[in-house]
Amino acid sequence: MTTSAAAPSDVEKATSGAEDAPRTTGHGWLSQHVGTAIVGGFLGYILGHWLGNYIGSAYPYIANSGQNSLAVLLALLFMVAGWLLGIGALNYPLLKIVGREAKPEVEHVGWSKYFRYNLDHKVVGIQYVVGVLMFFFTGGLLAMAIRTELLSPTVHVFSADTYIKIVSEHGTIMMMMASSIVVGPLGNYFVPLMIGARRMAYPRIEAFSLWTFVAGYFVIFSALFFGGFPTGWTGYAPLQTQAGPGMISYLFGFAVISVGMIAAGFNLAATIINYRAPGMTWSRVPIFVWSIIATAALLTLASPVLLAAGLFGLLDKTAQTAFYVTEHGGSSYLWENLFWFFGHPEVYIMALPGFGIVGEILPVFTRKPLFAFRIAAAGMIGVALLSFFVWQHHLFQSGINPDMRPLFMLTTELISIPTGFIFLVGMGTMYKAKIRYEVPMLFCMAVYFNFLIGGISGVFLSDVPVNVTVHGGFFVLSHFHYTIMGGLIFAFFAGLYFWLPKMTGRTMNKKLGLWHFWTMFVFFNLTFFPMFIIGLLGQPRRVFTYARDLQTLNDFSSIAAFCLGASFLIFVANLMWSQFIAPQKSPANPWDSLGLEWQTATPIPPYNFERIPVIMTDPYHYSEVGAPALVDSGDGPPVHASSFVASSTDPDQ
Amino acid sequence: MTDMIKSSQKMSDTPEEREFELRAHIGAIWSGGRLFIGIYTFLLAALAFSYFYLRSSNNGLLWRPDHVTAPTAYGWTIYTLVLLAALMAIFGQARLRKGSVSEWQVAVWVGVAASLLALFLQVWEFTAVPFYPGSSGYASTFIGYSVINILTIFIVLYWLETTVARSLRMNKEIGGVAPQLSMHPSAQSFRANVASMTYFLGFVALASTLLFAMFYLL
Amino acid sequence: MSLESPKNYGENDFRHIVTIWIVLSVVLDVLYWFLVGPHVPPGRMTSTAKDNQLDFNVLFVIALPVLIGVWEWLAFAGLRWNSKRKDAPESVGGPSAAGKRSAEWSWIVITSVVVLFLAGFGTVELYAGNGSGGGEGPNPIQQPAGAVRAETAAIQGTGSWSPNSNEVLPVQVIAQQWKFTYRYPTFGGFESPFLILPNDTQIAFNVTSLDVIHSFWAYQLEVKADANPLENNVAFTKTEQLGSFEVRCSELCGIWHGAMFNSGKVVSQSAFMNWATSTETKNAQNTKDLPPFAWTYVPDANGAAGGYYPDGNVTPYSTVEIYGSKQPS
Ligand code: HEM
Ligand SMILES: [Cu+2]
Ligand SMILES: [Cu+2]
Repeated sequence: MTTSAAAPSDVEKATSGAEDAPRTTGHGWLSQHVGTAIVGGFLGYILGHWLGNYIGSAYPYIANSGQNSLAVLLALLFMVAGWLLGIGALNYPLLKIVGREAKPEVEHVGWSKYFRYNLDHKVVGIQYVVGVLMFFFTGGLLAMAIRTELLSPTVHVFSADTYIKIVSEHGTIMMMMASSIVVGPLGNYFVPLMIGARRMAYPRIEAFSLWTFVAGYFVIFSALFFGGFPTGWTGYAPLQTQAGPGMISYLFGFAVISVGMIAAGFNLAATIINYRAPGMTWSRVPIFVWSIIATAALLTLASPVLLAAGLFGLLDKTAQTAFYVTEHGGSSYLWENLFWFFGHPEVYIMALPGFGIVGEILPVFTRKPLFAFRIAAAGMIGVALLSFFVWQHHLFQSGINPDMRPLFMLTTELISIPTGFIFLVGMGTMYKAKIRYEVPMLFCMAVYFNFLIGGISGVFLSDVPVNVTVHGGFFVLSHFHYTIMGGLIFAFFAGLYFWLPKMTGRTMNKKLGLWHFWTMFVFFNLTFFPMFIIGLLGQPRRVFTYARDLQTLNDFSSIAAFCLGASFLIFVANLMWSQFIAPQKSPANPWDSLGLEWQTATPIPPYNFERIPVIMTDPYHYSEVGAPALVDSGDGPPVHASSFVASSTDPDQ
Repeated sequence: MTDMIKSSQKMSDTPEEREFELRAHIGAIWSGGRLFIGIYTFLLAALAFSYFYLRSSNNGLLWRPDHVTAPTAYGWTIYTLVLLAALMAIFGQARLRKGSVSEWQVAVWVGVAASLLALFLQVWEFTAVPFYPGSSGYASTFIGYSVINILTIFIVLYWLETTVARSLRMNKEIGGVAPQLSMHPSAQSFRANVASMTYFLGFVALASTLLFAMFYLL
Repeated sequence: MSLESPKNYGENDFRHIVTIWIVLSVVLDVLYWFLVGPHVPPGRMTSTAKDNQLDFNVLFVIALPVLIGVWEWLAFAGLRWNSKRKDAPESVGGPSAAGKRSAEWSWIVITSVVVLFLAGFGTVELYAGNGSGGGEGPNPIQQPAGAVRAETAAIQGTGSWSPNSNEVLPVQVIAQQWKFTYRYPTFGGFESPFLILPNDTQIAFNVTSLDVIHSFWAYQLEVKADANPLENNVAFTKTEQLGSFEVRCSELCGIWHGAMFNSGKVVSQSAFMNWATSTETKNAQNTKDLPPFAWTYVPDANGAAGGYYPDGNVTPYSTVEIYGSKQPS
């Protein structure tokens, strides 16, 4: 047990001397951290911009036009490169060229480790929490701006130009955020703990995914300085081709994000496949991990298509190819197809992890085993597979080959079968249980409530005749907010309230948690339900003005939206209060979960488990007399699941 | 990667745990290699889709007016060089399995040289392209293909070079035994990496053949 | 409920759930079908509006019991299966709680049957409704009788339409940033800033764009078709009521997308004939200045890809004329 309790210097001693390998990150504030990354990004930006203008100066049309897309692209490209160089992400890849291997990283203690290229999945998980909340609150503020403009059809707060920038920026930021909000923080933090692994398969790639994700934030945000982009998150060409340099931020931003998504999914998939503890067969893998591996498959296979689509868009705008320019031999449909081929798997990237969280939390609070576990896992894999075959349901009215419409109507409706499994699982688990309504459980119930509406409205959308009414309007808007916000974001908060005590050792305040939950739940529904009706009454999406008789409904929705925004202030207050201002030490296993992640000590030792656990069964044997032991923790008699308390695995106590 | 396996060997205190970590590590290299092929397949599939989509739409009859073609001399050379690199890796691995590290190293260095040259030519080809990027659907997809191919060749180059560079430094660490014989964790990790790399290069050879045919021959 | 002894607490829950579910579902479905259904937007002005309203209502009547069932379940979980109820028995675990073959299989079978029925129903409706008013691209397959004839005649400049002729009326919708204009090929191809349609007539909308992608959404007519540059996107509906309707753009097309709407009217066939013939003569001079009628038009120099080439060359490299090159087969 040298490593767990070792001070940094011991680790160093233990690992040094083996070879003369250099270290990839050093000590102290002179070494690499966020500060150097910012400097690197800044210098890179300037260099790239200069280079782009230098190249552009040879072309009279571009020089001094203020519309030099190439300069913007190179600036952003070099910015990201400088950022990664500055944080230390490239040290190792560069060392490899001369055949060197890095020494194990210096372990940073205290706060400073959160500002570095850290290879511990627990640190990366926390860093991701901060990252996604940064995205989320930026996007949230923009949403408030949108709802403010929509208070009146005639009195305008923003110009039409500003409004469309806000809408586009909101959608894009939120989509980027939502594809990582669970996988990043909770997936990275808990997957190894749940499968009994002491580390990730590719910790550097994991850290790389985080820092590219953060870089993506700066890139997409930079659009505002280049005049924004007018296309919404879907970026349809030829509007894309027509747009100014802000479009570069969108295209390149999505490319950066997709690289991060690939990296995150790659590492998680490799970890889950290979690092499951002995005895952790696929039928014992927790449902959250199942959801993550299904998501990882989508992340790794769908994102490359977005990357390619973005690359082609960038080439259109800088090298003046004509991929998406119909009159020059390209096609505007090409973007639509590439984008949605990625886009639909993407929406399940934003759903599956939420299902996983719910499946993980329900048994804890119902004290019952997860109902129909195999069906739940099969459903997730089924959804992942099917999601590659439905993308043209976004194009029903676009003028695609009409033969395709019945086909895609069928596949889309088929996907609601495996999606529906999650309801079977939930309802079976709740049935006649003695449920404890703690905050995480309430969020889970809300996921069912909201996602039901989201899913059913999806079936309406996939019916081509009904799609004629609702496509391109507020009905669609409401549909995906019910699935993403009502499903995924609620699930994320369920997971956060549930697992924060493990991550930080501090409990969230229950009273504030209840306030947060009820305000968020009520105002979420009050905000988005009217939008179904608004959509049916004919209001298109992304408009700054609308029919006068829709004002009442819009105002209602706007006011609810402001309250919804305020509910997050309660969350922030709770987070600040219970984590920093007046921290309350959490019991080792506050919810009496049987999950493996709760069976290790808090704070979690650097390598998670003192011994690699040997898994004897799945973690859902609640309320079962004579249940098999969960883990054979090596020394001492096996502990029975029904009487399991976390501290008993910790030999030091 | 091997530094990772070293550190995880250190945190384990029983032989079983060390064995477990090592196996997981080797498995991760294996599945990582295959997964990477999956990722790359979807990237290239997006390109191929664009090619055939624009070809069959033929908007404004501008898919490929007068059957413009990129410089085939460049195409052939680049393609041959990539194929050579792949063959060298495959051949080298066979020799490595038979026990000859130096033959593997020579083969991979040849691969490095070939891919370096291919990379240079793929970039330089831009100066010789006889059409304007936006002049047709073919022209556009060709430019896209060139950029993606630069990435592919770069990955090939990087993987070959870092692996062979690693093998040169490894001797000391594993006690002078040739890496194909040693059971030292680093050596096992090294072999797994070579296997994954070779597999990927086989994939690249196949994909390059298809893309080469699409863009230069069809 | 407090009279229940802990022993048989919850024994009848399932029966209660099912009973309440059946009663609520039947009552609410019937209420919906008769009270709400006929008023579901966008009304009954055209054949597609009517058909799609039926589709919506069928979906709703199936969806309502699902909603009720799950919500009821959640309500039971909150009210009855709640640890705050001291009389409730402890949860029971074990294999019997971890799955139940019959429940699982019936769930799978029932959801599959419902979903397959919906897909089948939607497909039948799509064909029966001549494409349901949605854009079908340049070569529609779900279309009313006579559409091909009318469309072919229109592009050849030989089309004609008169009251009571029962002919399909082709109308072209041209979208551009940020307005819609309409051309009537059977009346010499004149152009109008608003859409006038005859009642009781099959209309073939031919939607195209001069710049970016827009979407032609004639709300009360229940027609929606994206307007793509260089593509003719065809959609059909049959007018069945007099009245005015609104047209909006439902695909984001840039800054003034929100302001891209106008309106139109369905009038009697004779009134339409009067309007059309008089406008044709009145506009004859203007029509001559327009590009000849075609299904698609080359975007103008200020359009999306206009001025695209740095050397200022805005004509495409095409060796062929694009005008009218795309016709429905
Ligand atoms: C039962 C499962 C679902 C079905 C049948 C379904 C069906 C559909 C259909 C047909 C559309 C196209 C609507 C249109 O534009 O005309 C759509 C849009 C959308 N769906 Fe779903 N959906 C389902 C679940 C989900 C989930 C789980 C998510 C995300 C977590 C999601 C997110 C979205 C988004 C973001 C859009 C709109 C994209 C845009 O136009 O900006 N959907 N859905
Ligand atoms: Cu979709
Ligand atoms: Cu528009």
